[in-house]
Amino acid sequence: MTEWFDLNDAEDRALAEFMSRVANLHIPDRGSPMATASDLYCKAALIARWEAERRALRPIDVMQPIEIAGGLFAAGLLLYWSLPHLFL
Amino acid sequence: MSRLDEAAFAALHARTAGALRAYVYRVVGNAADADDIVQEAFLRMLRGDVPVDSEEHLRRYLYRVASNLVVDRWRRRRHEQPEHLMPEQFSAPPHYENDASVAKIFAELKPRDRALLWLAYVEGESHEEIAASLGVGRRGVRVMLFRARRRLRDLLQARGIPVNS
Repeated sequence: MTEWFDLNDAEDRALAEFMSRVANLHIPDRGSPMATASDLYCKAALIARWEAERRALRPIDVMQPIEIAGGLFAAGLLLYWSLPHLFL
Repeated sequence: MSRLDEAAFAALHARTAGALRAYVYRVVGNAADADDIVQEAFLRMLRGDVPVDSEEHLRRYLYRVASNLVVDRWRRRRHEQPEHLMPEQFSAPPHYENDASVAKIFAELKPRDRALLWLAYVEGESHEEIAASLGVGRRGVRVMLFRARRRLRDLLQARGIPVNS
């Protein structure tokens, strides 16, 4: 139990009595049912799988714009070099 | 995923969800928010790599995560709508004859005070356990709890409730 160091016994009894009233107060329902343990376990598994997929796909996501930019740059360069020969 | 299997998680959930919900509800004063926080705490426990040393360790972890979520939520909403944190307003009778007045008096405390008092009186936790649940130092708990108790005593006295007899 918690050790007290300031209030007297009567005060402590009064607070304990009040807190016991607080502990016994009715707690209203949300209206919709709470997620069950099974729901939460499945949700956590789905999130873990989704995060693993995102981790696995991250290099592809990073490389894709670089590849596109590289391709466009190479095409532009090729066009630039070949332009003088095209109209000979 | 945590090393808890589904059956062990279901058993832990059955034993702790009710008490955790009661704690969070009394601190935030809103059933929907309390449910969201409890569910998020369990999800974080499952997703985090929490060592399954003992059920007490997991329980402490849940209370700590829930307490942090309560504080985050409180900070987020403090500037938006401070009154939203308080349960519905009641007229203040001089004594707490009914549940509404008990709830009203308790809601007048700060969320951190409500958390401390709940853990100390309702859960019967020691200073070390409260410190672990709230993620603060043991010395800090001692001082914060002293102040929370004094504030509650002052609130009760202000309402004419004898606390010294």
